[in-house]
Amino acid sequence: MVNKQKIGIFDFTDCEGCEVALISLREKLVEIAAEVEIVNWRLAQKKAADGPYDIVIIEGTPITQNEIDTLKYLREQTKILVGLGSCATLAGIPGIIDKEARSGWYEKIYGKEYKPRGIDALPLSAYVLVDYSIHGCPVDKGELLRVIQEILAGKKPKNPGYSVCFECKLAGNPCRLLNKQPCLGPITAGGCGAICIRGGSPCYGCFGIRQDALIDNLAMTLRKFSDPAEMENYFSMFLKKTPEYKKLFGKKEQNGK
Amino acid sequence: MANESFIAKIEGHGNLHLDWGKNKVWLEVEEGERLFEAMVVGRPAKDLTWITPRICGVCPIAHNLAALKALEGAFNSRLSGSTILLRRLLLAAQILQSHTLHLYFLALPDYLGIDSGVELAKTHPTHFKEALELKRVSDLLADSIGGRGIHPTATAIGGFKKALSKNKLEDLKSEVERLLEPAEKTVKLFSSLKYPEAKTDLTFLSLTSSTDYDVYDIKHISSSKKAQGKISDYRTLINEEIRAYSTAKFGKYSGKIVTVGALSRLNLSGNLLSGKAKELYKSAGIDFQNPYHNNLAQAVEIYAFVQEAIELLDQLTNNEIEESKTLITNEDFKPGKKVRGIGALEAPRGGLYYEVGIDAKGLITDCNIVTPTVQNLPSMEESAKTILSKQKNSSKGRAEELLEMLIRAYDPCITCSVH
Repeated sequence: MVNKQKIGIFDFTDCEGCEVALISLREKLVEIAAEVEIVNWRLAQKKAADGPYDIVIIEGTPITQNEIDTLKYLREQTKILVGLGSCATLAGIPGIIDKEARSGWYEKIYGKEYKPRGIDALPLSAYVLVDYSIHGCPVDKGELLRVIQEILAGKKPKNPGYSVCFECKLAGNPCRLLNKQPCLGPITAGGCGAICIRGGSPCYGCFGIRQDALIDNLAMTLRKFSDPAEMENYFSMFLKKTPEYKKLFGKKEQNGK
Repeated sequence: MANESFIAKIEGHGNLHLDWGKNKVWLEVEEGERLFEAMVVGRPAKDLTWITPRICGVCPIAHNLAALKALEGAFNSRLSGSTILLRRLLLAAQILQSHTLHLYFLALPDYLGIDSGVELAKTHPTHFKEALELKRVSDLLADSIGGRGIHPTATAIGGFKKALSKNKLEDLKSEVERLLEPAEKTVKLFSSLKYPEAKTDLTFLSLTSSTDYDVYDIKHISSSKKAQGKISDYRTLINEEIRAYSTAKFGKYSGKIVTVGALSRLNLSGNLLSGKAKELYKSAGIDFQNPYHNNLAQAVEIYAFVQEAIELLDQLTNNEIEESKTLITNEDFKPGKKVRGIGALEAPRGGLYYEVGIDAKGLITDCNIVTPTVQNLPSMEESAKTILSKQKNSSKGRAEELLEMLIRAYDPCITCSVH
């Protein structure tokens, strides 16, 4: 009998929505769980085995020292490390807050006496090598299933090479940019089925910037109908801790004090 | 019993510390601070409804709707009848999603002596099938109305960015009707479980409409031991304390420990349920002095919100959706003066409060969010203490197990509590 692959699912600071998406796979999750051995999953089971693991899936941002230490330890304990969701892969929404701004906000929200635990919201890749990133806020269920199945089959999954625009056209949505509404679809990796635009919202880039994206071209288009503050607002939703953001808008945000 | 302390692992990044000898219990929440109230400052008003659902992936719709209510209060938006029906339906879907996840995947394994909800597929296939059906249809409802079940895309300040066709609503209705049976079985199942005995003196707190079991269109803050409070006074009524051992604040109501959530809602508004939901509530045998019965209360609510979803879909399909008053194409509000709004509703785990200040240009100046779990943390510590004091003759293992089950029965949302 072939030994089942040992999987550990962990979460750092986050909303747990990507784990909820995993549970929302329902019957498919049961099938996956039968193929492998989920030896550690805090949210869904009591069993919590120590490593080594074959695959470790991590959701969330390592924001406290404890989480950073755990992340480094888990990297040593696993053959494959997978980032689950935009908090893990990009720093995502928690990444909106810059490190320098934190102290002022701690004082404002928690008071002077408070000893904070959070250091900075950064992606997993700021600390360790990540073998594969499943992007999205939250992750797309179909994409999640595809990637897990490919990893289990021993393949190295690839991010879709196309942009959100490609899927947006397939979905038959009117183009936001042509209607002079900001959208990061052209530079964002596909895989989401353009779900936000289908719902009437813009693309804020939660699947990460795709390979060979023409960021300057998009910036030029956006400048035609939006002011710099609005443009920055779009790029700072999920992408604030990316090098591309720093290149476009290299400045500090105001401290909460 | 020796003076030793141990730590029970609970849902989310939290630990329950116990000191047997001193009968001391404290809940250490160690989730990192994301500072949502800071993130939104300086951003356009509409970003509030996009960013704050990310506080919690289990109840993102509740955050989205509370944020919308606060903004609509600030901008004096008038909502169409269809919008209110759709919002109520969306919140019903949220409660169904959240209660199903908690009851079947997190709480039930404790009572059946198995390790995880996924194992139910093998050990209790009938229950598992019912759980999956509840999950499937509540996700479908949330996906269809909100654009996405986790983190909505289609809601808007003043209405919706997308409206559903009558055909689609009729399809949804027939899907939700299929939940009546699994919902009833859920109540029967959770009525049949053997809950640990506990006798606590809980003070219940809930946002109420006083006319029905509505959780969206609420009018007052009601307490089982005090006079009704005004929602606009929430900041003086609900006091948040900072504790050195926790990244979550601890909330009290007028300085007193209170309990929020399904058990509180049924205690304060259960008599306003109607039809079969009321019958099931009356026959479920809920003991309001036993916090473990929050699980049973959630099961009753599963039926109540399936019934409500069907009623709402009836109303929506009997009348045309007023598209012109429901569809919103522009959310760029520039009020021309400083405005402020408060929005509150009953999230799956209890009262959720949002307050937002907006400047003349439509940018957020400040934001305050009070979540249900913050209000429940002191009650969890208090109940744990009561239960611990009755376990002097039990083994350490049994006491630990009882306390873990107690914390789970409260269904805490640690990610909501630290935001």
